[in-house]
Amino acid sequence: MSNQKKRNFQIEAFKHRVVVDPKYADKTWKVLEHAIHEIYNHNASGLSFEELYRNAYNMVLHKFGEKLYSGLVSTMTSHLKEISKAIEAAQGESFLEELNRKWNDHNKALQMIRDILMYMDRTYIPSNHKTPVHELGLNLWRDNIVRSSKIQTRLLNTLLDLVHRERTGEVIDRGLMRNIIKMLMDLGSAVYQEDFEKHFLEVSAEFYKVESQKFIECCDCGEYLKKAEKRLNEEIERVTHYLDTKSEIKITNVVEKEMIANHMLRLVHMDNSGLVNMLLDDKYDDLGRMYNLCRRVPNGLLTIREVMTSHLRETGKQLVTDPERLKDPVEFVQRLLDEKDKYDSIINKAFINDKTFQNALTNSFEYFINLNARSPEFISLFVDDKLRKGLKGVSEEDVEIILDKVMMLFRYLQEKDVFEKYYKQHLAKRLLSGKTVSDDAERSLIVKLKTECGYQFTSKLEGMFTDMKTSQDTMQGFYASHPELGEGPTLVVQVLTTGSWPTQPSATCNLPSEMSALCEKFRSYYLGTHTGRRLSWQTNMGNADMKASFGKGQKHELNVSTYQMCVLMLFNNAERLSYKEIEQATEIPAPELKRCLQSMACVKGKNVLRKEPMSKEIGEEDAFFVNDKFSSKFYKVKIGTVVAQKESEPEKQETRQRVEEDRKPQIEAAIVRIMKSRRVLDHNNLISEVTKQLQQRFLPNPTEIKKRIESLIERDFLERDNVDRKLYRYLA
Amino acid sequence: MPRASKRKAAPASSSSVTAPPPDQSRSRTAKATSKTRLKESDQIDNLFDTYANSSLGQIDPEGIETLCSDMKVEYTDVRILMLAWKMKAQRQGYFTKDEWQAGMKALKANTLLKLVKALSELKKEAEAPQNFEDFYSFAFKYCLTEEKQKGVDIESTCELLKIVLGYQFRSQVDSLVEYLKVQKDYKVINKDQWMGFLRFCKEISFPDMANYDENQAWPLILDNFVDWKKQKSGGR
Repeated sequence: MSNQKKRNFQIEAFKHRVVVDPKYADKTWKVLEHAIHEIYNHNASGLSFEELYRNAYNMVLHKFGEKLYSGLVSTMTSHLKEISKAIEAAQGESFLEELNRKWNDHNKALQMIRDILMYMDRTYIPSNHKTPVHELGLNLWRDNIVRSSKIQTRLLNTLLDLVHRERTGEVIDRGLMRNIIKMLMDLGSAVYQEDFEKHFLEVSAEFYKVESQKFIECCDCGEYLKKAEKRLNEEIERVTHYLDTKSEIKITNVVEKEMIANHMLRLVHMDNSGLVNMLLDDKYDDLGRMYNLCRRVPNGLLTIREVMTSHLRETGKQLVTDPERLKDPVEFVQRLLDEKDKYDSIINKAFINDKTFQNALTNSFEYFINLNARSPEFISLFVDDKLRKGLKGVSEEDVEIILDKVMMLFRYLQEKDVFEKYYKQHLAKRLLSGKTVSDDAERSLIVKLKTECGYQFTSKLEGMFTDMKTSQDTMQGFYASHPELGEGPTLVVQVLTTGSWPTQPSATCNLPSEMSALCEKFRSYYLGTHTGRRLSWQTNMGNADMKASFGKGQKHELNVSTYQMCVLMLFNNAERLSYKEIEQATEIPAPELKRCLQSMACVKGKNVLRKEPMSKEIGEEDAFFVNDKFSSKFYKVKIGTVVAQKESEPEKQETRQRVEEDRKPQIEAAIVRIMKSRRVLDHNNLISEVTKQLQQRFLPNPTEIKKRIESLIERDFLERDNVDRKLYRYLA
Repeated sequence: MPRASKRKAAPASSSSVTAPPPDQSRSRTAKATSKTRLKESDQIDNLFDTYANSSLGQIDPEGIETLCSDMKVEYTDVRILMLAWKMKAQRQGYFTKDEWQAGMKALKANTLLKLVKALSELKKEAEAPQNFEDFYSFAFKYCLTEEKQKGVDIESTCELLKIVLGYQFRSQVDSLVEYLKVQKDYKVINKDQWMGFLRFCKEISFPDMANYDENQAWPLILDNFVDWKKQKSGGR
């Protein structure tokens, strides 16, 4: 254990003797260098992996890692330079193929080299912060091949050219493309992006800019959208086949921007083929395509929605203000329902039931349906028509569908209380004339209204039904207790509770003696069982069935109004009656009497009376006779029906006035309710609270609310605050 | 006789009234202060009795008219209204003894001359910002002659406006009066509207009315007035 000359004396564990020969390193390196050459020359088979590994290992062990590494670098580099030349020399098509081939070779070589140098990879390299072998190989490839001045541009241009050719319809070698692109990706995402993707996107943008300009000049909207969609799909497919998946979003953005976003307004508003035309023609496919494409760009859906909304509002406004349409209320409402169906379809089939579009539809309808103040009346008339005859023979399900659609329109109404008023009037007429097609349908609608508006809305309506039922029972009881009346005229009385039915002032009318006796009997019967009540006959609402025989022997059964019955019965005792005589006898008010006489004397097919002179107007001096020549195809002739009709102007005014009057107490009740709970509230908040509370029924006018507030102040329900005049205080 | 008893004298001609009676009370010494005061209240009572309707025990409209002419003040002068205010008179056209006494004491007047002098002070007092609203409000209440009456008819309101506000807000009052006479919405003005008029004059610039906001809690009659005025002047 001396430590002088024999420095060689070392104890080696299990390796063979190592000679520290200054030339050792060189020699070893030469072996390895040679091996690398051989590997690159596809002569690797003759090499011994074990030996090479050992050599590399020894070099590193003996602190010659540096030499090994730098040797590796230079050897590889020189090889790559040669390869580079070979690739550059390739002509035309074979450029990419050569590149691809050489790349594969390189990778194989690299793997072998890495295996050989694994020890260095694991020890020398990390501790000296050098690039690992595999990565080094890639970097060298990158720097010497891909980014070599002669190859870099050529590579990019070749790739871009191939893409372009594919876009213009040629078929290209996708596999080759994939490999080359993968090579770039393997070299690092920075390489892929810098050397390819960035330029790819720029060139694509340019390409699509030009193409979109060309298309937009010559295509209509639908065609253009088809083309755009096709291109979009192509690009997505391209990415799946030979580009990095991360590129998909980038290239689709490019297409969306160039083809769609830049031209969107022009497309949507295109004459004869834009959005509006598609809507008008129910072009579901085109609309769906437009929706899908616009969804991809900022504000795309917003634009479509806005255009649809303004078109719908405009159409709707024309619908409700067109004087032609206003002539037939049923037609008017049907047209509205059709329009709603149309757009429901469109939103369903083309806009995937997008909620924002449904809302836009709702808003538009709410807007224009309320532009016409008669909408509530017309909707009620529509329902009336359906419940009288329209729903005859319709299945229960279909009835529900129609009623639900009507409810939809009802929801859009601002003035629901006006609808209620008309509905009540029309319902009353239907019930009293027994003209409703289906009791179930009536009740079903009431239930729907109740669900929508609450109990108060429908309680009176339900009261009307109850009255009808009760009256039936009453009539049974009446005839049961008066069996002697079985022979005489049959009386059917409907007893109506005053609060529930629309109020009508009852006018004078002298019933024929046969009837008045009967009516009195009924009255005493009824009051006998219901003391404390008061009955008043509503002669303007009744009807009668009469058997009539005419001069030539024709017999007919006439269905007439009560007034008409009174007039006709007079002719049982007189041949000729003047207007004055009729008026005196019946005491029916003049306007009603005139109408009644007109309907029996001046209408073809219903002229059971003859008038002299034969003019259309009823004059005070006219004389009336039974029309012996009366003829009709039918045995049963209906002369007076109490059908619900569109109101005349003065009637409309009256109804409107009554609605306004009804609103006043509702507004006051709302004010008191709110003030009672809040105690103190300022003016603007009070107005908005009141509006909110009432909006289910109608939209109150702020001026009207103010009037009510002032009235309440005068009646000491509220007072103004002394200091802040904008505050109201509740007075208990 | 130098000291004519004023007790039951009929309203004499002005000249005799204006001559003040020799004020005996002042010449007495200080230690007779209670007696002095008594004397003063006596004089107040005496003055009351001069004008009162003896069967009623109150000064009635006729008496007030006489009082006014004695003071050389117009019956419709705003100062009479202010006097009623000072007295807290409950009933238009009548002063009770208590009201008279309270008022005269508050004015520190025990003679007619002192009362006349006090009137001009009273005007300033009533018009002082802190008092004016109270006076204005009183003026309205004073016009509610019937029991449970809530409003004053248009004619009277117009007259009242002129008397009470005419001095301070001439142009507003002229416009308002013109409007009230042509409008058909209201036949009677209630308290809330009356107070609104004052607020309007005080807060709203006139005649442009630029700072009027009808979304504020102004009485509806004023909203209508502003619309009417704007249409009249700038309608074209």
